[in-house]
Amino acid sequence: MLTDIVQLVLNGIMAGAILAAPAIGFTAIYAVLRFPNFAVASHATIGAFAGYCANVWLGLPLLPSAVVAFLVAGIVGVTSDSLVLRPLRSAGLITTTIASVALTIALENLVRLGFGNALRNYDLPIMRDWRFGGIRVGPQQLEDLAISAAAVAALFTFLAFTRLGKAMRAVADNPTLAAIKGIDADRIARIVNFIAMGLAGLGGMLLGLDTSIDPLTGFRAILAIFAAAVVGGLGSIPGAVVGALTVGVAEELSQLVLPSDYRTVVGFIAILLVLSFRPRGILGARAY
Amino acid sequence: MSLLEARDIVAGYGHGDEILKGVHLTIEADEIVAVIGPNGAGKSTLLKTIAGLLHPAQGRITLRGEPIHRLPPREVSRRGIAFVPQERNIFATLSVRENLEMGGWLDPAAIRRRIDDVFARFPMLAERRGRAARTLSGGQRQVLAMAMALMVQPVLLLLDEPSAGLSPIAAETLFATIQAINRDGIAIVMVEQNATQALAIAHRATILVDGRNNRDGAAAALAADPEIRRIFLGATPTEL
Repeated sequence: MLTDIVQLVLNGIMAGAILAAPAIGFTAIYAVLRFPNFAVASHATIGAFAGYCANVWLGLPLLPSAVVAFLVAGIVGVTSDSLVLRPLRSAGLITTTIASVALTIALENLVRLGFGNALRNYDLPIMRDWRFGGIRVGPQQLEDLAISAAAVAALFTFLAFTRLGKAMRAVADNPTLAAIKGIDADRIARIVNFIAMGLAGLGGMLLGLDTSIDPLTGFRAILAIFAAAVVGGLGSIPGAVVGALTVGVAEELSQLVLPSDYRTVVGFIAILLVLSFRPRGILGARAY
Repeated sequence: MSLLEARDIVAGYGHGDEILKGVHLTIEADEIVAVIGPNGAGKSTLLKTIAGLLHPAQGRITLRGEPIHRLPPREVSRRGIAFVPQERNIFATLSVRENLEMGGWLDPAAIRRRIDDVFARFPMLAERRGRAARTLSGGQRQVLAMAMALMVQPVLLLLDEPSAGLSPIAAETLFATIQAINRDGIAIVMVEQNATQALAIAHRATILVDGRNNRDGAAAALAADPEIRRIFLGATPTEL
């Protein structure tokens, strides 16, 4: 029993680390632009397919493929925001949020148009799991974890030490004062969209590495992404990491008492509990 | 030519909701001008309009003769006008040093040198450079807000109720700081509820009532005027 629990916690940490990338993207957009952008789902799918094309069609190894996933999703994120969401932002939160849902459906169907509904797998070498006592760890899982952790570390370094990263935090903290100080909010919004949707794309690819991808890859993950952001504190980037790990571990541990088909209910329960007992989330709403 | 001239300013927060109904204000270089008046008179709205956060429906604002009333806040700031709002005037989640960096956003090449200057002028900020700004006291926050404004070496500083919420001792220190900044050649427009102290340090003053200029003149003369003392400075009949 103890071995099972350790195994599930370990799996949860691996899953949570992957979930952290798109959850950070979701919460970063909320922190700066003040609306929940559900188009993160379709950008996770786009990243997954961009990584697939790089890996399978172009024969690139995993790491360069992950970079392609990040870049393509980031570029599509900036473009789709400029064309669809930005013109609607002045209409208010509800309008923009609904538009983001419409955008995600449209983009997912574009992917379906191009690639069909079939499940697709990355071209990865088959590797035997490592065993430590009764605990199994997949080398691929560890690689996914390392890529996600490196991306998150790079983001934190960007936010802490670069001029643009500090400006992003300033706009998230106090947009009016940022405008008074001369910080160009539109430019910051484009950078946030690029990074956030890039992270969503990277997360989509990492999700697909463990299983397979199809046009609904991002859609299936959006509840867990949303739950991670809410549990950690919507708008808090460290909170998204904490929330993702919490949701990841909770989903895995739920298998002790629930059939695995019901894992997704954990996201709903997590949101319900947080909204009932700590509406600002574990780390509150501070962006950084 | 005056440093700043605002003429016949009509401005507000929407059509048909004008707070300012034809205000005029002139600022000469190196002077402190106090803007006082009752709540709702349009004092803060006037500062926001000069800073570019609101655009006047009518009227004209010029800085050294150049029109600025259609410019966004970024461009107004770039021309040397620094606005310190009454509330939420610092980035609470950033460190003191990061706040100063954001204050100097428009002139990145000079940031390091100016932060050194600010720390020399305000050692209290230097001692707290790594701390999150939200941990500062009310008076320390106001000093940080003004220090952020100084990061762009402004020619004109707009202060919206700088002493609001401060203890009398902290307010006195703050007014001394404002005078010291002015002695360095920076013109200051200061909106204040604490009219007595504002008139004590200002060279000139404007009294706004219901979005219009009620009285303008030398601060000392206005402070000595019995009617103004009774209405705005809270003097009792025996003190007049």
